[in-house]
Amino acid sequence: MKTSAPVKTTSTSHSRASWKGEYRLLSTTTTTSPQIPKTSIGRTQNKQRWIGKRIGPYLFLLPATLFLAVFLLYPICTMLLFSFEQVNIGTLLTGDLPFVGLDNYHTVLTDQLFRSSVGISLLFTIGSLVFQFCIGFLLALLFNRRFPLVGTMRGSVMIAWMLPIVVSGTIFKWMFQSDSGIINYALQSLGLAHTSIHWLSDPKITLWGVIIANIWIGIPFNMSLLLAGLQSISASLYEAALVDGANAFNRFWSITLPLMRSTSLTVLMLGFIYTLNVFDLIYVMTGGGPVNATEVMPLYAYNIAFEQFDLGSGSAVAVLMFLLLLVVSTLYLFLIRREEVS
Amino acid sequence: MTTTQKSLRTAFLTALGLFCTVIMIFPLYWVIVSSLKNTAELFRTPPTLFPLQIDWTPYITNFVQNQDMLHYMANSLYIALGTTILTLVLAAPIAYALARLPIRGKNIFLLAFLIAQMFPSIMLALPLFVMFTRIGLVNSQPAVILAVTTRTLPFAALILRPFFLTLPRELEDAAFIDGCNLWSAFYRIILPLSRPGMLTVAALTFLMGWSDFLFPLTLISDDSKRPLTLGLYKFISEYGSRWNDLMAVSTVAAIPIILVFIFAQKYITSGLVAGAVKE
Repeated sequence: MKTSAPVKTTSTSHSRASWKGEYRLLSTTTTTSPQIPKTSIGRTQNKQRWIGKRIGPYLFLLPATLFLAVFLLYPICTMLLFSFEQVNIGTLLTGDLPFVGLDNYHTVLTDQLFRSSVGISLLFTIGSLVFQFCIGFLLALLFNRRFPLVGTMRGSVMIAWMLPIVVSGTIFKWMFQSDSGIINYALQSLGLAHTSIHWLSDPKITLWGVIIANIWIGIPFNMSLLLAGLQSISASLYEAALVDGANAFNRFWSITLPLMRSTSLTVLMLGFIYTLNVFDLIYVMTGGGPVNATEVMPLYAYNIAFEQFDLGSGSAVAVLMFLLLLVVSTLYLFLIRREEVS
Repeated sequence: MTTTQKSLRTAFLTALGLFCTVIMIFPLYWVIVSSLKNTAELFRTPPTLFPLQIDWTPYITNFVQNQDMLHYMANSLYIALGTTILTLVLAAPIAYALARLPIRGKNIFLLAFLIAQMFPSIMLALPLFVMFTRIGLVNSQPAVILAVTTRTLPFAALILRPFFLTLPRELEDAAFIDGCNLWSAFYRIILPLSRPGMLTVAALTFLMGWSDFLFPLTLISDDSKRPLTLGLYKFISEYGSRWNDLMAVSTVAAIPIILVFIFAQKYITSGLVAGAVKE
């Protein structure tokens, strides 16, 4: 899933201005409407028109709201219920889903495979994020400079993010082949490795193989958002620093880094949500193997729900994943608020 | 700083930029090149950076002789176009209303859209599977279109809103004076002027529909209805070591992305950033 969200979640002066503007719009339209003689018919027409003006805007919200209520909100609520019920082919056919309390959660939390999947998910997410973010930041700094072809380069890099993940997974599977893969060849000819690395069959290494592929996919996303953040820093700050005799490192340390803190937090939070939910890349590259070494939480949930057909326990896993995301986004909101206060 | 120093620095930055770009797009280059090699050359050490002999056989076997992939592509096209149209029809009015119309609780909607993007797809696939089974919609492409739209709609609304915010307000005022109501002003004046924004969202949702994997995997069991992403996956498990065939299919699966990239890349990058930053 490709995710987008405001870098600044709280409304800024920009959106506040539009709030005021709306009332201007409303008043202009009422004063310019043709004068209707004050007969009883005119009054009802006026009233209808007034109601139309007040209700009309809300009708614009209706289609999307209804759609999301039926296909997003309702399913999520049923899933919450499922996590407390016994849901499998049998109970689904009869339509009678017995309430089992916390049994599903108990089954999942005592499963060794689930516990290891939490660790694998966290390692996968944090490993990907650290490198995606750092490389993305360096690229953003580079592409923020002015030199020939920089626009084309910025754009070309985005292609890694736009490719279907299944395709990217297949590409990396090919490049990671032990004998004929280009990555092992490159490492060996540069003298960085002496024997073939079994990127996708050695349980100790495979997670890193998947992480590398995911870093490649995530770099453009990090880069483009960080670049936008860099471009919003006023050039006059750097000019003033130059006058004061600050060198490049000082300028980066005392201007760029502090001013990029809220953008960085946002990029990291979005990256966390996106990476924790990665399913298709791992499903295609390793299928969770070898010996469950890359079975992250979404894969575990999928296996339980759609292979073992225990939809109740699968729902419990999904709920636990969501709780984890909730903790992270609460932490984010706390940090970003402190950022704005200071 | 002297001019020579300056031009030296520019040359260095350009070289560094080129180097990074080449590394980032190398995997894509490598797929295309690998798809054009014959089997002997494919497994050769050292690998050749450009095929010594261009071999089109993988494309002919997979797209001319065997028509399965074409069916998968048609299904992908159906799902991607359906998602695009449904998303635009639903997202445009709400994004406009949240940008311009007098509505209470706008921030609640914006927050809801943010949270909606947080739900893991697997979390939705599960209950949607049960829901679509109950109403008999499971194992059909419309089921996937509806499912993917739950992911694209909040995203599209957040990206479209800033485009509507940038339109001059005088346009609407003029439309109202000319006797337009809210809806006709929206369709006749606002929408045609927001074409860049609509195009950005259309391109992005098309790509998301084309690329989706989890929803067709869980919601469609009939192979003849599945999209290209699943066809490619099935192909990997069936022909594990026929890498040139796999690379040919991967290249074709990447074509829409490359096309969109060439023709609409400017819009996409700016749109992504606009949706993300100009709140």
